[in-house]
Amino acid sequence: MLADYAAGVDLYHQGDPPTALYVLQTGRVKLYRQSRENCQILALPLPGDFLGAESLPTGAPSPYSATTLTAAAAAHLTPDALQVLLDELPDFQEVFLKLITNRLKQFVTLVHDLAFRDVTSRLAMVLLVRAEAEGQPHDEGIVFERLLSQQEFADMVGTAREVVYRTFKKFEDDDLVHLTRTSILIRDLETLRTIALQEAR
Amino acid sequence: MIATLPIKPDELREIPVFHRLPDEPVHSLVAVMVRRHYAPGQVIFLEGEQANSLWFVSEGRVKIIKHSLNGRVQGLCLMNRGKCFGSCPLFDMENNPATAQALDNVTLFVLPGEALQQLKGRDPHLVKALLHIYSQRLEHLARVSEVLGSWTVSDRINDCLLTYANREGQQSYVELTQEKLAAMVGTVREVVTRHLRSLEREGIVRNETGRIIILNADALLPPCGCEDRRTPA
Repeated sequence: MLADYAAGVDLYHQGDPPTALYVLQTGRVKLYRQSRENCQILALPLPGDFLGAESLPTGAPSPYSATTLTAAAAAHLTPDALQVLLDELPDFQEVFLKLITNRLKQFVTLVHDLAFRDVTSRLAMVLLVRAEAEGQPHDEGIVFERLLSQQEFADMVGTAREVVYRTFKKFEDDDLVHLTRTSILIRDLETLRTIALQEAR
Repeated sequence: MIATLPIKPDELREIPVFHRLPDEPVHSLVAVMVRRHYAPGQVIFLEGEQANSLWFVSEGRVKIIKHSLNGRVQGLCLMNRGKCFGSCPLFDMENNPATAQALDNVTLFVLPGEALQQLKGRDPHLVKALLHIYSQRLEHLARVSEVLGSWTVSDRINDCLLTYANREGQQSYVELTQEKLAAMVGTVREVVTRHLRSLEREGIVRNETGRIIILNADALLPPCGCEDRRTPA
């Protein structure tokens, strides 16, 4: 089933019963966990990526929420339909296992970054990963859609908005990055990479 | 590490993911699984080593920890009876993303990766059990990420104190000025001063000139995804 979503729409919520399995066709989505005063963005899937249904095998509530960042289109398979496929097609179980494994690996990396890298290298890492996945060549470097507010960048690296603001300012002063309202230009990917790979703690 | 008695089907069924597994897959599992014992403190596997087995806790508790390039250690969680860890030998996760260490006397059931690959091609029930394990792990990691991402300045100061603690006999102490601590955590000296004073009032540290004595290291552990994180010493 294919559906269109406006920006800012929830596909599903943390705590929901096991959700449908979605394939993002166009647009962007953020996956995040929210507690009382905190939000942690866990991933920013790209078109072609799968999301959802991770808790279907245990029947537990969904471990995170998914909200569109832009207008988006996604196909989905309801939990019941997915369960039928899992029960009847052993090959499909393997496919689903692989999807869950990929998400798992993403979270392992995130946990490592949050545990050992400081805010500066985490923000550099977010930019580096996105430049490598989404970047387009540009006269002065690599450019990609900004997509996130300062607050959302803060939610990605696990810090406060002011700290992200200061860190971006520093990157701009050092001529590594140029930020506009809609795009991010990476002027010096290699220096950014060095900063991203530092383990401060 | 001593290999001992074969695992009995009933023992295997005590592991929650195998509760409802039919007889046939249970018998093929116990035929290839190995029981192992570890003493407290013994390392079960190291981060970065080739991952080649799935481990199930039958008795005792196992600490899962991560090391940074600088040698810094971060406890991630505690695996107790019935839990499964090291679940990365499938597909392309070749190396262990973390270290596992026995906290008490631990008995583990080990499922070698190769045997698992062979069995899972033949038995959909096993893939179902694996899906269950992976799904649980995912939920856990999502929670750990959120907690690590939400550390407050106080959590980060505490974490820094633990990281830079020196040991002298029974005593742990940190030789860092409050300015240095503030710079490392990304805050100002006043905040550090205030926090250290409140730690002293609670009897967790003693502030001396030029150094901070740690009286209760457990109380400094910042929050992580497990409620039982504070139990390991």
